[in-house]
Amino acid sequence: MAPTRRFKKVLIANRGEIAVRVARTLREMDIVPVAVYSEPDRIAPHVRVCFEAQPIGPAPARESYLDVERVLDAARRAGVDAIHPGYGFLSENAAFAAAVHDAGLVFIGPPPAAMRIMGSKTGARARMKEAGVPVVPGSGGPLATLEEVRAVAVELGYPVLLKASAGGGGKGMRLVHDDAGLESAFRSARSEAKSAFGDDTVYLEKAIVNPRHVEIQVFSGNDARTVWLGERECSMQRRHQKVIEETPCVAIDEAIRARMGEVACRAAEAVGYVGAGTVEFLLDEQRNFYFLEMNTRLQVEHPVTELCCGVDLVEAQVRVAQGEPLPWRQETIVRRGHAIEARIYAEDPSRNFMPAPGRIEDLLLPQGPGVRVDCGVASGFVVPQFYDPMIAKVCAWGEDRERARRRLVRALSETAVKGITTNNVFLRRLLESEPFVRGAYHTGTIAELQAHGEAEVPAELIDVAVLAGVVNAHRRDLRAARTHALKDEQQAAGWRSQGWRRGGG
Amino acid sequence: MRYVALIGDQEREVELTELAAGRYQLSMNGRTLQLDARHVSDTTLSLIWDQQAFNVELEAAPNGKGENILVRGHVVNVEVLDLRTLRLRRAQEVKAVHDGPAEVTAPMPGKVVDVLVRDGQEVNEGQGLIVVEAMKMENELRSPRAGVVRDLRVRKGDTVEGGVSLCVVG
Repeated sequence: MAPTRRFKKVLIANRGEIAVRVARTLREMDIVPVAVYSEPDRIAPHVRVCFEAQPIGPAPARESYLDVERVLDAARRAGVDAIHPGYGFLSENAAFAAAVHDAGLVFIGPPPAAMRIMGSKTGARARMKEAGVPVVPGSGGPLATLEEVRAVAVELGYPVLLKASAGGGGKGMRLVHDDAGLESAFRSARSEAKSAFGDDTVYLEKAIVNPRHVEIQVFSGNDARTVWLGERECSMQRRHQKVIEETPCVAIDEAIRARMGEVACRAAEAVGYVGAGTVEFLLDEQRNFYFLEMNTRLQVEHPVTELCCGVDLVEAQVRVAQGEPLPWRQETIVRRGHAIEARIYAEDPSRNFMPAPGRIEDLLLPQGPGVRVDCGVASGFVVPQFYDPMIAKVCAWGEDRERARRRLVRALSETAVKGITTNNVFLRRLLESEPFVRGAYHTGTIAELQAHGEAEVPAELIDVAVLAGVVNAHRRDLRAARTHALKDEQQAAGWRSQGWRRGGG
Repeated sequence: MRYVALIGDQEREVELTELAAGRYQLSMNGRTLQLDARHVSDTTLSLIWDQQAFNVELEAAPNGKGENILVRGHVVNVEVLDLRTLRLRRAQEVKAVHDGPAEVTAPMPGKVVDVLVRDGQEVNEGQGLIVVEAMKMENELRSPRAGVVRDLRVRKGDTVEGGVSLCVVG
């Protein structure tokens, strides 16, 4: 076991809301947070919340946040003890983790070997099967040619799911209903995987119809002892991107929950895991669950777990990385109440969710009881086109699910991001939708809801909007008239003074 | 002052008289009402109308058409014009030609990762034309109508600004 030490300075190899979130905990622990930033991120909030900052190159992620050498150079220049990778970017890159160790620094995450096994989806499946963890039937290995893919698809039976071996977040993933769609899906999945992860390896799985996506938060100590901190239900997804997450999941009872927790711990222990990790499961309509993948990092949606368990997962990550024992035993983990997270994306739902980067003119964030906001942007900041469009997360905690839900709706209606388009109204529509209110939803629910068009605005609020618009136009016109009058006056004055000077000179 | 508010395809005439600082009399749809409206900032208004309070957030609509107005969690797009501007605009409006050529523009700034068609190629409505990547997402731009691709202005690898013309289908 690693001897206990104390970090003085930690580099956060990330940007946006997660870099801000990690910096906050580091500051609370009296550890100096060091930011890295690409050119368009110079005034980003994550740079401003840190106590030191290192430039790491131009806008494209491949030349900055994804560049191992540049990140390591920044760490050396700053003289840090450890690197926190956040999520995305280099967080699941085992070669990066190994390079951090080789540079004599601590990588705040699992050992590279565990990352390597879980990072290869096909390798992970095989290892999980050995460990007695249930997995979805599939190809069991990477598929290089269309012929191979076709043969496995026929054997499994349609529908099937093509997935990127190095994937995550739905990138490089394609649902294929029949043989006719296979070729174009294979091609586009590979090209998307290549551009997102630099690796175009894909594999095939049987598609489970209308599954729920339920994941278990696990945490392993340096002695490999693993605890679980409840589940997160992440089925509100749009094109495999999570949009709303909650804990607990209404679809499972205590017995299934305990079994999932136990299986998740077994999965982590089977690969010699250390630190925070998430074991994702698919839950079918008969409440069977299958191992989907393990995310060897902090998840985007970790705040709902923190709210219900009353813990700081980033603090625990840092403590374990310092060589300290796990801060909890399984018996001391008590979950209370219900928490829901909504992800605010800079995208336009009325234009097929096209990314909508741009300058934020004004930002209004919600406050009040039971509300938590993790935000990576600020007023005056230009949301770059180069990175993920997720700009903020709004979470609500309540004593029960309905209280949490109403609180989140309230919080989102206090939220406004002026200057760019976001999915805020869409999020509230989802939270107020009948399937979500009842808790009877699955990974296909958002697509079904979208087919039902837009929400109606009450007539009275249209009146209010018109009145406000007219009052605003009136003020604008008055100001314009005043500016004109002032200009005329100045011009007249200018002529006079010129005349006077000429006359007197 | 007389204004016309455009809300989607609806149109409303509103007459406004400022009674005192922040106090207005307005007539809309034959109703006359008193309104207390204060600007908290350039883009935030607090309205009190008939004892009801509304916090109103305004932002310029990203498409340049009027303002998006956020009130009690709903967003309404409103474009307010004075009567003169409205008449001017109406006079300039050209009747839309239904079968005319359709321009395909970049919906956001990004990088062209693939061009799926050639100049002069015949395409169907909904057929993929150009793939633009922005914020790690690939977006396939589809043909708005059946026709022939002309004026193809981009190549794979080009960086494009939002709103620029990529090609025309006519």
